[in-house]
Amino acid sequence: MSPAFFQSTLYASLALCALGLLWRVSAWFRVHIGPDARDVTFSRRVAAVFGGAASALFSLRVLRVLGTFVLDALFLRRLFANAKLRWLGHLLIVAGFTLLLLMHALAAVVSAKLLPGYQPTLYPYLLLRNLFGAMVLAGVALLLFGRWRQRRGLPQVRRPMDAAFVTLLATVLVAGFLLEGHKIASPRAFYRMAEQFSGTSDPAELKPLRAFWAREFGVAFGDLGESIDSNAVEEGRARHADACASCHSKPASAFISYPLSRALAQVTGILDSGRADIWLLYLHVLACFLGLGLLPFTRFFHAVAAPVSLLANAAARNRTQSVTVRASRRALALDACVRCGICDQQCSVAPLARYLGNPGLLPSHKLIATGELASGRILQSGHENDALRAADGAFLCTDCGRCTNYCPAGLDLEDLWIAARGDFAAEGLPAPAQWVQARPALAWAESMEVALAQHGFSDPDALFAPLSADRRSFSRCVQCQTCTNVCPVVAQGMDTEHGVDLTPQKVMNLLRLGLRDLTLGSRMVWDCATCYQCQEHCPEGVRVADIMYELRALAVHRLGSVRGLREPS
Amino acid sequence: MTDEPPDRFDVAVIGAGMAGMAAALFAAERGLSCIQVGNGGGILFASGLLDLLGVQPTAERRLWRSPYEALAALALDEPGHPLARVEVPSIRAAFETMVTCLGAAGLRYAPLGDSNRSVLTAIGTIKTTYGVPLSMVAGVEALNVRPPCLLVDFRGLREFSARQIAATLGDRWPGLRHRRIEFPGCEALPELYAAHLARALEIGETRARTIERLKPLLEDAHAVGLPAVLGLARVGEVHAAFEAGLGVPVFEIPTMPTSVPGLRLLAALESAVSARGVIRRHQATVRALAFDRDEGAATLDLEGVPGGERVVARAVVLATGRFTGRGLTADRGQVRESLLGLPVRQPVSRESWHQSDFLASSGHAINRAGLETDGAWRPLDASGKPVWPRLFAVGSILAHQDWMRSKCGSGLAIATAWAALDQVARQLGGNGAG
Repeated sequence: MSPAFFQSTLYASLALCALGLLWRVSAWFRVHIGPDARDVTFSRRVAAVFGGAASALFSLRVLRVLGTFVLDALFLRRLFANAKLRWLGHLLIVAGFTLLLLMHALAAVVSAKLLPGYQPTLYPYLLLRNLFGAMVLAGVALLLFGRWRQRRGLPQVRRPMDAAFVTLLATVLVAGFLLEGHKIASPRAFYRMAEQFSGTSDPAELKPLRAFWAREFGVAFGDLGESIDSNAVEEGRARHADACASCHSKPASAFISYPLSRALAQVTGILDSGRADIWLLYLHVLACFLGLGLLPFTRFFHAVAAPVSLLANAAARNRTQSVTVRASRRALALDACVRCGICDQQCSVAPLARYLGNPGLLPSHKLIATGELASGRILQSGHENDALRAADGAFLCTDCGRCTNYCPAGLDLEDLWIAARGDFAAEGLPAPAQWVQARPALAWAESMEVALAQHGFSDPDALFAPLSADRRSFSRCVQCQTCTNVCPVVAQGMDTEHGVDLTPQKVMNLLRLGLRDLTLGSRMVWDCATCYQCQEHCPEGVRVADIMYELRALAVHRLGSVRGLREPS
Repeated sequence: MTDEPPDRFDVAVIGAGMAGMAAALFAAERGLSCIQVGNGGGILFASGLLDLLGVQPTAERRLWRSPYEALAALALDEPGHPLARVEVPSIRAAFETMVTCLGAAGLRYAPLGDSNRSVLTAIGTIKTTYGVPLSMVAGVEALNVRPPCLLVDFRGLREFSARQIAATLGDRWPGLRHRRIEFPGCEALPELYAAHLARALEIGETRARTIERLKPLLEDAHAVGLPAVLGLARVGEVHAAFEAGLGVPVFEIPTMPTSVPGLRLLAALESAVSARGVIRRHQATVRALAFDRDEGAATLDLEGVPGGERVVARAVVLATGRFTGRGLTADRGQVRESLLGLPVRQPVSRESWHQSDFLASSGHAINRAGLETDGAWRPLDASGKPVWPRLFAVGSILAHQDWMRSKCGSGLAIATAWAALDQVARQLGGNGAG
């Protein structure tokens, strides 16, 4: 590879990377999420963030920022607390990659300066390079294993760009190991070096050195045969000490490349004649450069964004921040999310996501939908149903805050969800409570009958609607009206004209009569505050509030599948 | 279930009806640590009136002016009746304690005396009872003297009709008038609910508007009767405001159950019990109850608590009620005790559960089914011995009583809880504390 080609591709990829970084970072100040963020201008957002950073730098908070950098950004304390295996995998990748970058990729500026007598082919650098590479591979394997283990769990976010980037990373490592393994076994490489350092490439003259290198360094000379003369080996040892030893240690310590070279030894002739050393080098280097250039455009940009998010948390004076700062933090959150899925596992409505078959309820999916809504993609896709399901996902959230508490990147997800709901509503994508109540309960029930007659719509699984599907849970109701009497939502109807249509005990009565579908669109079910007064007071122990909540979930499921149907008129 | 060691209590009360509440309250009053398991919703069917004993013998439907004379008659007629087994001073002490505690919790009663009182019901009949809430006691006076009075109801409140009461009593109470008014702010609503009106009347403005609507209707009325909606938590304040605003005595008449007085009674009992440090598991039920004879403790496994819970108690009070409380379960063949399968005193066969005249005043044999206990209120096993030395039973689960016909429901609950807690304290030693 010519230095000119190397340099030009390196600079091209660096330029691409820099442009990408600039584009992505500027998005933190450009992208608007939440109705309150729309009026905050680019310049005000930049000023707020840099002003905040400066004030943190010149205060004692700088210590907290430093501590966060070490503990959270470098050693991933928050990840360690929640997912040990993932933490190990991630740490192996980051440590292995950083060390490879410093010792190997930047050898000319780092190793050559810091390590006296550094040569990539000397012990312990051979060992270390293999070790660092193995760390990255092991880390990737651990993360893939983690994903595989959860394949039957919650649906995970998958995007082709991310998979392509992992493949690129694997290409860098595999090509590197193959290149090293091939060069160990390659006679061609041997002759080139011999020519350069002992002035000859005559096989006869190099016979002792060849014998020594064949036995001790594993070069696979095709013409050497089975037997190697031990005298020649001893003679070769002396020549080796003169000409080669200062740059070459025995490669056996390269615990991946050396065994690999034993495998490649069988085909080393073919590889040599095919100039594998050149194209493997191109593959290795170009894959590195491509990865460098593309990094800002993949989710691996989180390597920049997640630490920024953690440091911004540490630098903040308190948890409540102005809308100017939050506007940027929301856009940053889109980039800082690692898609680790810990939030999904902690999500209070994850069971509902499974039941509705709508992964859009899960935080990691919701975050992507939020980004797509901000960029307009979700509306341009033309799939009305996708947008509606994403809106259901945004609104069917209990605001329990567990996602925020567990996020390894320290994102304020609650704030993001609240902002996103405002955006969905502004785009005419309403909350379930609104689209359900846009039609009367009776109209919904009729739509369901039509759907049932036309498509034979399957009854909801009793496993997911355990109370309303089991008459034992409401058959005890004696219609004593206690639930209605204590219900603050019914009471609220006393001074407005928007009272509920049914009372809780009427909802129970419809269930007793087997008319569950009539309750699904009712205002009582949807206006229920789940204060549990009814359930606590019920003399018969009917779980009234639990049933109301279940009916809502059922309504999103059943009515959601017929919302395209207009009521028969 | 967690691995933590279970919490230990002196007493576990199973049940949160009137008897369970009384037992928990009296346990706490005696300084015993107590856990109470069970839903108190059954109390919502109560009217807030505390019966002691109104009718004896039931077959004759004989009403008694004095509950204590009725108790004396009961002791002669039915010495096995649970109320007859409690000494009169204990009954008085139990009622005084109960009424004092309820008063402290915001539900004040007229002073108890030696007499029963007559109270109007929502359908115009007259009920004989003992303890009467202050907000209803003016009605007792009015019913005794029968001066010109006004009964008022609210349009849309279906469970109370002033006109029906007046019609039922009209020939015996000529000066009784009735009127219907709109409840302020609810003119457009087709249907009203008593508890919502009660809450609304705790707001001064709604109260003032209601009083303004009542004033022109007063005319010669010496007292005004209203459905029992004069406040939930602040009944004293609301009732006093109506009397001050109208210038005549005002009385509540209990509406059909479940009623506002039931909600008040439940809230007052819950607050009285909780204020005394009783741990309440009101959404839980006892899944299993096991007795350890060596350690002398009972282990209760609870369900309906997240993750389940296990508690240990030195004494257990069974106050699970009869059929509506589900302390007893009847199937086609026999009656069983639901929790432990204790032997139930019951008619020999299903044919003899009821007599052929369903409305017979003497009642039916099945109405006297229940648990047999020894003199210390301990339920007996098949061999006639106590099931466990510190398992006690109180309230309507006890055999040999027909509380509905005797008008002795609260009396049975409160008196047997007091007597059983005497025994609990004695068994646990000293004052029982510790």
